[in-house]
Amino acid sequence: MLEKTTDLHRRFWDIFAQQDRQKISEFQTYMDKFAVNFNLYKDGNFIEQSLPFDIIPRIIPKQEFSKMEKGLIQRVTALNLFLEDLYTDAKIVKEGIIPQEFVDSASGYLKEFVGFSPSKKVRTHINGIDLVKDSADDEWVILEDNLRVPSGASYPLSIRDTYRKIYPDFFENLKIEPIKNYPKIITDAMEYVNTGGINVVLTPGRFNSAYYEHSYLAEEIGAQLVRAHELVVIDKKVYFKNYNGKKILVGSIYKRLDDEFIDPKFFNPESLIGVPGLIEAYLAGNVALMNAVGNGVSDDKGIYYFVPKMIEYYLGETPILKNAPTYIPYFKEDMDYVMKNMEKLVIKDVAEAGGYGVLFGHSMTQQQIKDLKTMVKAEPRRFIAQELIEFYDEKCYLNNKLEDRKADFRAYVVMGEDVKVWNCGLTRYALEAGNYLVNSSQGGGFKDTWVMEL
Amino acid sequence: MEQLLTGNVASSMYWLGRYLERIEGTLYEINKAYDSIIDVDKKAGVTLYQKFNIDLKYVSSIDFLDKSIRGDHEANLATLMQNARENAIISRANIDKSSFGEIIALNELFQSIQKSPTYIDYNDIDQALSLINEIWGSHAHRGHRKCSDYFLKLGKLVEEVDFRLRFDRGIDMTETILTEINTAVQILNPELDLFAECSRENKENGYGDIMHCIHRIIDKLIIED
Repeated sequence: MLEKTTDLHRRFWDIFAQQDRQKISEFQTYMDKFAVNFNLYKDGNFIEQSLPFDIIPRIIPKQEFSKMEKGLIQRVTALNLFLEDLYTDAKIVKEGIIPQEFVDSASGYLKEFVGFSPSKKVRTHINGIDLVKDSADDEWVILEDNLRVPSGASYPLSIRDTYRKIYPDFFENLKIEPIKNYPKIITDAMEYVNTGGINVVLTPGRFNSAYYEHSYLAEEIGAQLVRAHELVVIDKKVYFKNYNGKKILVGSIYKRLDDEFIDPKFFNPESLIGVPGLIEAYLAGNVALMNAVGNGVSDDKGIYYFVPKMIEYYLGETPILKNAPTYIPYFKEDMDYVMKNMEKLVIKDVAEAGGYGVLFGHSMTQQQIKDLKTMVKAEPRRFIAQELIEFYDEKCYLNNKLEDRKADFRAYVVMGEDVKVWNCGLTRYALEAGNYLVNSSQGGGFKDTWVMEL
Repeated sequence: MEQLLTGNVASSMYWLGRYLERIEGTLYEINKAYDSIIDVDKKAGVTLYQKFNIDLKYVSSIDFLDKSIRGDHEANLATLMQNARENAIISRANIDKSSFGEIIALNELFQSIQKSPTYIDYNDIDQALSLINEIWGSHAHRGHRKCSDYFLKLGKLVEEVDFRLRFDRGIDMTETILTEINTAVQILNPELDLFAECSRENKENGYGDIMHCIHRIIDKLIIED
């Protein structure tokens, strides 16, 4: 189902009708030529591929975006307060808002970090919040919070640049919010928490799926792109190893790898992509890590359920943006509901991401439903269930014709001295008609997002 | 002149310069040998590849083109180009954007040549050479803004010396290039001196060990561990 056409859409289509469609192929040429890639491992092989891209942008009216922006700032502020509280006083648990057991069993919760506060008490530096627009009431709904290593911002940045060159008419004639400020927002956030030293982006390396993004962002934010062995920890301080042998103090690290791999001395000793001793330096307050170690607890889909309660608890406010109606089988009442209604619900494994571990009741056989019920009963904390949201489709220009595809929206929210929402984002669309999974790792593509006004 | 740069990126830029120059130099030599094989010297290709320590066998000029460019040997240009591309991807933040794009395009060209079921089209060589010229042109146009630019230049110059030594070209120009190499080295690290590293005896020995000296100085210039 498509969103209602507005005057903004009409203005877009008027200009689109006048454009030379032969030029659409130039986008792919650009993506190939500049290796705008999303890499995959398939059957043990490393495959470099460009992310599927569609030229019809998602249009969000500025007024609507402003409301979303307020809701996102509110949410990320609350999530930051939650993480700071959880790892220090844990009042929210002590007061029974979130069950202790729920926190303890969250895979991203790191007990070892209890009592530690990072630089300036900022933990949620760069966040990707996934939303969809519900066709039932025209409201944006939060599906997921990504407070560890959200990726994807480089793709709309890269493609916007190309769009302006290939089809300048849109940008000359429409009031589209410019988006080039994203690297500056990141740099400001890095500088705010920097403990004294240079900024670096830590990548697992050339063969990571998002290496293009790591490289692109490092360049844009003016930070050095480093692999683990290009950093060294001496006396609880982190140094960048320059080509000439000099060691330069590092003050802030935008890490693009998961917590468990970041320091083989502290976490997984098998990790070849971590920096030995990094956590010691971090705990000594000698370097800032973006995002904070231990944020994984808030990415847990079970904890997601409690975010509206966090907003009320920490800010005393009513949530501006809604969660999708969610049930956690851990609570008996919810378990009963899930058992009775599984056929119409979406069941998610709380620890999975990227569209993995998502099951749609309506597309499962009776036997599969039965098996899933058994699994949920056996491990209630492992799953959440959500009402299926009929979110809007977006028009996509695929194979030389316009087709409808389900699309979500990842908003980028950055916390430094204050919280800022980037006035763009990653709109992801599903590969096939009717498919609800839009993730890049599920074959989904992306399109630009234009925040516009008349 | 100092710039923040990991040893990996510095090394990648240096090797990018070397691979691109190697591909360009090889293509020029292939061009000359191809012309000669047609009606002057059937063994011109054999002589050429002996310089690279490769025993190349072919039955005609077209077959020579094919075997030289995509044969199963160390100087296979598709492989060299893949190496160049890898180095470009690692150092992309430090190279001109259009140069990067041309490198990717050049790699695509060589990969398609490698996979093509038919004999190599001579136009492909022209196209490859013109892409390389564009890469060097874009890079030169960028000017010398950062020290990292000198790593690419250094790689190009070192490969030129390697070619000149393999092909016994005039020593005067080789000396000029060595001076240029030393200038680049000293811009990157004023404490290093190629000519001090490579004693005068080397000169008298006809630069027999010059490549070893250059490698030693590069190892001192780019410290990777």
